[in-house]
Amino acid sequence: MLIQKASGGVADAFLFRVRKFKSQRMAAYRLVLIRHGESCWNQENRFCGWFDADLSEAGVQEAKRGGQALKDSGFEFDVCYTSVLQRAIRTLWLVLDGIDQMWLPVHRTWRLNERHYGGLTGLNKAETAARHGEAQVKVWRRSYDIPPPPMDAEHDLYSAISQDRRYRDLSKDQLPICESLKDTIARALPFWNEEIVPQIKEGKKVLIAAHGNSLRGIVKHLEDMTDEAIMNLNLPTGIPIVYELDKNLKPIKPMQFLGDEETVRKAMEAVAAQGKAKK
Amino acid sequence: MPKYKLFLLRHGEGAWNKENRFCSWVDQHLSEEGVKEAQQCGGLLKEQGYRLDAVFTSLLTRSIQTAWLVTQAMGDEWVPVLKSWRLNERHYGALIGLNRAELALNHGEEEVRLWRRSYDITPPPITESHPFFFDIYNDRRYLTCDVPLEELPRSESLKQVLDRLLPYWNNVIVPEIKKDRTVLISAHGNSCRALLKHIEGISDDDIVGVTLPTGIPILLELDSDLQPVKPHELLGNQVQIQNAIRKVEDQGKAKKTDT
Repeated sequence: MLIQKASGGVADAFLFRVRKFKSQRMAAYRLVLIRHGESCWNQENRFCGWFDADLSEAGVQEAKRGGQALKDSGFEFDVCYTSVLQRAIRTLWLVLDGIDQMWLPVHRTWRLNERHYGGLTGLNKAETAARHGEAQVKVWRRSYDIPPPPMDAEHDLYSAISQDRRYRDLSKDQLPICESLKDTIARALPFWNEEIVPQIKEGKKVLIAAHGNSLRGIVKHLEDMTDEAIMNLNLPTGIPIVYELDKNLKPIKPMQFLGDEETVRKAMEAVAAQGKAKK
Repeated sequence: MPKYKLFLLRHGEGAWNKENRFCSWVDQHLSEEGVKEAQQCGGLLKEQGYRLDAVFTSLLTRSIQTAWLVTQAMGDEWVPVLKSWRLNERHYGALIGLNRAELALNHGEEEVRLWRRSYDITPPPITESHPFFFDIYNDRRYLTCDVPLEELPRSESLKQVLDRLLPYWNNVIVPEIKKDRTVLISAHGNSCRALLKHIEGISDDDIVGVTLPTGIPILLELDSDLQPVKPHELLGNQVQIQNAIRKVEDQGKAKKTDT
């Protein structure tokens, strides 16, 4: 079992961060993040967002491998956090089963949900690029604070999402109809600060199973990254991401991935290839 | 008019259920059959149009696994799941791991029935020499309980199960029910029986005769004082239900084991 640092496309982004960690401080805490694996809609290359797509069979296997990687390294946790979307929850379940810790307390929150893609939800990424042009898609996907068009009441998925029981306790202000990455992070961080950080500081070993963009929020905050830097970071799926933190919750070294080199490299390349228009 | 809906569910078959051994606080996964039972239960609840708002389980994997499978079949994975030792199966003490049918051969069916089904007879306690003692008490989950490790039971009567279950029912589960949330309690044969005794006011004598089938959701409809408005209902195909009840009752009968 090898612990691999990120390689390939994000090497440059990492170099900057590696230099920041020159002085080795003591690890007071350890945190593990895991981004869920392939969903049925990822398979179809559709903007998923708040649509509650299930894991594909490949996504199930990714989660099992993630669990196996944690089991092989002997990880024990005290508390788990996840979103209210089944692809993250099932990923967590599969991991907990793999490490035989199904008894752990699990807290589910909409604040760890994936970014809400508004009116783009359900659209095939290639078709969207053909319809709006690659440049516009790039802006929506890559911009930090420009939201996609909102999901209005006419949208096919409006009632399935906005009126779902799981969001009944959200105020009108809280329930999004679209989000930029900035918006996603703005609603994820309060949960991180108010619920998760106190647990970490009590010495609880935390596992967070969530989505690409909600996890980007945590990573950006932990590593004090710029808006541009976080846009260039693609977290791999199904691969446990380990942070060692000092007593002020600053990482003492770059994030580490648990898994074999090939799995890590392949996953990162696959995410980077999405979104290009296909004829 | 019933005000609240509550589901009790006894988890399905685990490996030791198949071997007819007292599993109790030994932690096991469901068998393949047990997984199917949980999925069918979820499918049935979904088909009948029920939705859940909160789920409570014990700390034992088989009850948690059941809860996950049920909520997954219903599309309710987002529902909060709270876990407590206070919903654990009855602690069978020194009888843990022993085969029920062999016990019946050695001690008589009636004696075994009494241990299993009496209200206040406590089996002999588990001791350190028991093969599963450390499997249980060295497990990290029992460091997270609201009582210290050394105060957790070493053996229990059904009465003692209810005694440790009631504070959780009153302080944690009832407040959720009173918020008009549909609750599922995914637990074990005896923790479900104890709770049913309490809710329905079943006498100490009558509880002996109560057997709950596995994998069958038990619906309770309660008024605003949490009194049942009618007898509990076992949901599903009635023939299947009777077979399931008979299967559990047969576990206590003396059988020669295959050599």
